[in-house]
Amino acid sequence: MQQHALIVGYGSPIRGDDAIGPLVADRLAEMALPHGIEVQARHILTAELVDDLHRVSRVIFIDAAADTPPGEVRCRRLQPDATAMSTMAHFHDPRELLAWCEALYGEAPEAWLVSAGGAEWGYTSYELSDTARAAVEPMIACVLSRLGLGPGAELGPELGRNWAPEDTAGAAAGNNAASLARPHGSCNPSDNPRDSGRPDADTG
Amino acid sequence: MSRTISIEPVTRIEGHARITLQLADTGEVEDAKFHLTQFRGFEKFCEGRPYREMPALTARTCGICPVSHLLASNKACDDLLAVTIPPTAEKLRRVMNLAQLVQSHALSFFHLSSPDLLLGWDSDPATRNIFGVMRQDPELAKSGIRLRQIGQSIIETLGGKKIHPTWVVPGGVNEPLPEDKRDVMLAMLPEGLRIAKDTYAFFKNLVPKFKDEASHFGTAPTMFLSLVTPKGNLEHYDGLLRIKDAQGRIVEDMVPPRDYRRIIGEAVEDFSYMKFPYYKPQGYPRGIYRVGPLARLNNAEACGTPFADVALAEFRTLQDDTGPVTSSFHYHYARLVEIIYALEAMQRLLKGEDILDKRVRARARGNRYEGIGVAEAPRGTLMHHYKIDDEGLIDWVDLIIATGHNNLAMNRSIKEVADAYVEGNNLQEGMLNRVEAVIRCYDPCLSCASHAFGQMPLAIELKDASGQVVDRLVRE
Repeated sequence: MQQHALIVGYGSPIRGDDAIGPLVADRLAEMALPHGIEVQARHILTAELVDDLHRVSRVIFIDAAADTPPGEVRCRRLQPDATAMSTMAHFHDPRELLAWCEALYGEAPEAWLVSAGGAEWGYTSYELSDTARAAVEPMIACVLSRLGLGPGAELGPELGRNWAPEDTAGAAAGNNAASLARPHGSCNPSDNPRDSGRPDADTG
Repeated sequence: MSRTISIEPVTRIEGHARITLQLADTGEVEDAKFHLTQFRGFEKFCEGRPYREMPALTARTCGICPVSHLLASNKACDDLLAVTIPPTAEKLRRVMNLAQLVQSHALSFFHLSSPDLLLGWDSDPATRNIFGVMRQDPELAKSGIRLRQIGQSIIETLGGKKIHPTWVVPGGVNEPLPEDKRDVMLAMLPEGLRIAKDTYAFFKNLVPKFKDEASHFGTAPTMFLSLVTPKGNLEHYDGLLRIKDAQGRIVEDMVPPRDYRRIIGEAVEDFSYMKFPYYKPQGYPRGIYRVGPLARLNNAEACGTPFADVALAEFRTLQDDTGPVTSSFHYHYARLVEIIYALEAMQRLLKGEDILDKRVRARARGNRYEGIGVAEAPRGTLMHHYKIDDEGLIDWVDLIIATGHNNLAMNRSIKEVADAYVEGNNLQEGMLNRVEAVIRCYDPCLSCASHAFGQMPLAIELKDASGQVVDRLVRE
């Protein structure tokens, strides 16, 4: 496993707040992040992502959540979970993919899920609700915090620097990124691996 | 007393479905039905939309095979424009369709069906899944992931994203292929072909182990429908319709897709939201046929690429007589042959001199009131048919989906498997798994196949706590 990080924002772009994952990923992709951090915006999580997961030491999933108060941002540690299997075949729970990675390659990357509660999930809705829109910046701050790149970090000049993992789990509670997130919820990490934050509405 | 066994949800398929087996007093299977339990209604809610929205709208039918809908829909729109798209655009569309075929077939074989094939139908259901495969044969699981990744990466390289790319447009594609992207795709294909050949060799040796399943998994005689080239060879993007009967006789040949309604009718039943297409000259339900990789290989004279043609010749030996390969179990084998073909064909297309040509789009307005687009999706022949008004707004839509074509055959297959394996007085999980497994042979995509067809007949059953039906409401 190499010292690289992967950011994966996922959700349907035509189902209202479910789009917040790929939208946040797109925002992050526009930033001058250090080398070694790859950003992907996806509709759904599919099996071939496992090949990307085993090449990185840390992965951060970004998703909308149907089981969280609208607008609230949460950050939680994910563990591989082979029981989190979908009966469908065209999308997967992030914990299942981590379990695939562990089973095939012996280890899975350190994984986090940054999620925000959504308010609107209607079909053919191309805009985020005001509530979800307000969660975008705190989510970005949360992701940067998980990477040890707080909002104080000047990302532009760091272009060319290689990203290296560091222990950010304890730092999140008191750093600026967490403060940014407070108006909309907590960016403090949760270790409940069952709490996926995955909206049931996410379909192909 | 007769009993009903319900298998719900049917697992390791796309979408939500239920199978019911009706048992007689003796425990024998009286009837078997495959129910599509979800309703989507794309044909209805597309009405009133501008025809140029149709590719994007109908691609949303499915997250696993959006490219197939994108292509069939754009072909229908090409027909509305009354244009012939530039040759390079056609080749680029072909590459995308073949990449879709690789990733979809890889998902079906490696992730959905390999637990049965590798671990056995009677193995512990708690471990008969992808994790069981990973423990048993991690390299096989990695091969599946890599093949899917190659297919998806080519789709993303061409279309800008893996799911729901918008690069294919009415009249062609919206951007020519840059040389560097062509080279990226070409570089992936040798590895894909090596994996595909290795997997084919592995499965070819495994097939004799499944002689019993192969002799009961959907062997009842049916016809086969697919596109073929004007020379009668394997075709996935364009071409003409061919139907062979169960003895291998050609009953319809070189039928232009525009004339599909002369040979295909659609029926509905009250137990499923999926339509039941049938061969019109033989009527319903006698006009049963199958589509997809098994039908395509049975109908083709040749694949047209070196290794796939060798594999096709070996495929034909699966049948004892000289007729078509009849067992639906051999859909798995056919998928592996098609993966090889797709990878070889993509290499040939991408190495073509004109693949980087800048002329990739014909521009026009709606010039016809009716457009029909037909392509081969991974699961079989996909038909999009639109009618528009003077403003270019959709008046009427008919979508005939690959999985729908196979509906009659799937229902017959589960009855056949249930007859062979299910003992109502001694029910075992492995028996029911075989009933599910025959459905997996067809790799149905139920997200695609649930559509409205006018007023759907509907039956609502009210059952008491013991499962007895106490009231039934039927809308004909």
